[in-house]
Amino acid sequence: MSATKPSKVKTLGKAFAIFTKTIVQMNDISASYDSKNYVLKDIRMSVDRGSNYAIVGQSGSGKSTLLRLINGMMNPSKGKIMVDYQTPSTSDKKFKSLMHKIGYIPQNLGLIKNSTVLENILIGALPRVGGFNSFFKRFSDLEIDNAKKILKQVGLEGKAERKVYMLSGGEKRRVAIARALVQKPEIILADEIVSELDHVTAREIMDVLAEAQATMNLTAIMVHHDLQLALEYADRVAVIKEGEKILEIGVEGDKIVDFQSGNYTQREILEMFSGEPEE
Amino acid sequence: MNQKNNLIIGLIIAGVVVMSVNVDADPRDFVEGLPNIGIMLQEITEVDSSLFVTALWAMLETIEMAFIGTVVGVAIALPLSLLAARNLNRKFVYIPIRALLAATRTFPSILWAILFVIIVGLGPFAGVLAIIMYTVGFIAKLQYEAIEAVDADPMDAVGAIGVSKLQLIRFVVLPESASHLLSQILYIFDYNIRQTSILGLVGAGGIGFYIINYIKFFEYGKAAVFMVVVLVTVLIIDWVSVRIRDKYIIKSQRGMQVKT
Repeated sequence: MSATKPSKVKTLGKAFAIFTKTIVQMNDISASYDSKNYVLKDIRMSVDRGSNYAIVGQSGSGKSTLLRLINGMMNPSKGKIMVDYQTPSTSDKKFKSLMHKIGYIPQNLGLIKNSTVLENILIGALPRVGGFNSFFKRFSDLEIDNAKKILKQVGLEGKAERKVYMLSGGEKRRVAIARALVQKPEIILADEIVSELDHVTAREIMDVLAEAQATMNLTAIMVHHDLQLALEYADRVAVIKEGEKILEIGVEGDKIVDFQSGNYTQREILEMFSGEPEE
Repeated sequence: MNQKNNLIIGLIIAGVVVMSVNVDADPRDFVEGLPNIGIMLQEITEVDSSLFVTALWAMLETIEMAFIGTVVGVAIALPLSLLAARNLNRKFVYIPIRALLAATRTFPSILWAILFVIIVGLGPFAGVLAIIMYTVGFIAKLQYEAIEAVDADPMDAVGAIGVSKLQLIRFVVLPESASHLLSQILYIFDYNIRQTSILGLVGAGGIGFYIINYIKFFEYGKAAVFMVVVLVTVLIIDWVSVRIRDKYIIKSQRGMQVKT
């Protein structure tokens, strides 16, 4: 009796998901690493399917933790997260299919430095390859063709056989993006992917992501350091300060709008970030 | 403070002197014995040149033993190191494996050789088995330490995709720790050749068998010829492994230093 109940709820949830546009939903999430000090407090957040969502905040504000909660590498101590109507958790085998749908690019990219570009990005295809074939690094022609197509898409054509440690900072970021795209994800999480780059390269990388997002119908959730860059590319920007979401803003027309409370005007918002350059 | 240091240094020196008297280590014996080297060198020149051929064959056998021992030992050590790494396994897997590896390391290879001579009899096979045992304990330890030192970022990034543990090992752990493994294999091969050279002392084959027998019959010149062959071989192997290290390991480590 009780065994049938959750599966029914799940089916209903899935059916409902087709009609809804929300892909990530956080209800009053709190998180901590040591069960004493909260890194995140009562975060409410909802991300629309296919949108570009940015999280901005200073170092230590808890924004990376937010991404780790979404990809299930960390569990919230309070509240509930739903990603595509499931609760993410890497420690739970049932949610592997959900993990396959999330492409995660950590702050230091997490590339295998002694492997080639192609080997690195084929890692994204591993969920679709059997254990035996993957042990001998045997991928189908289809997967290799797809990987090469994505390499071309991110601007790394002809560099498939390069070792990653020989690449420049911008190229390494393109490899990380390619690996996430080979995964055929629905959501891409990127943690400060352009923070250490110069102005021009940062925008090149953001353009690659924006193009991929548009053509592959992805939801992007990206952590940024730079508010201006975030506003330029994202539909919504959540501002995190000391573990709390203080603002959710976006650009409508040529104005910055406060979506969270609607209380702040563009001028007041910009005054809060007086350190940041104005638009 | 300074006086305390002086006192400690004085005590250590006094300790060395007292213990030397105790174990009968007299530097005067060394000085008096020095001319014996001359006699030995002279004896080398009197040795029949055909003995060099014998010595080279014995050395070849030694290298072969060390090679088999190293290859088989590493092949056994690699899966064990994966099981002993704390970042890949639970406690009840890595603790027994680590205990087993620690146990194999407590014996130096010459004691393993004695044990295997008792089990399989005199000859090179006992020596090979001894080298395998030592290599397993040694390489597995160094390798699980290298695996635990693998950067957490790629492990996290690839782990978050939802790949299996075997895939994680194949695509992250092995490539990221491969340069360490190569460096350790070169080191242990070098070390195993030196070890195999003395295993003959307990009858486990190799060039040491000749050396101990000539010494027993006071044919120091002949023993010295064999020792010179060992010396030259070890120097050559050392030189070759430095070249391999430069070519394959230094390069990738320099690549690692270039942080993004």
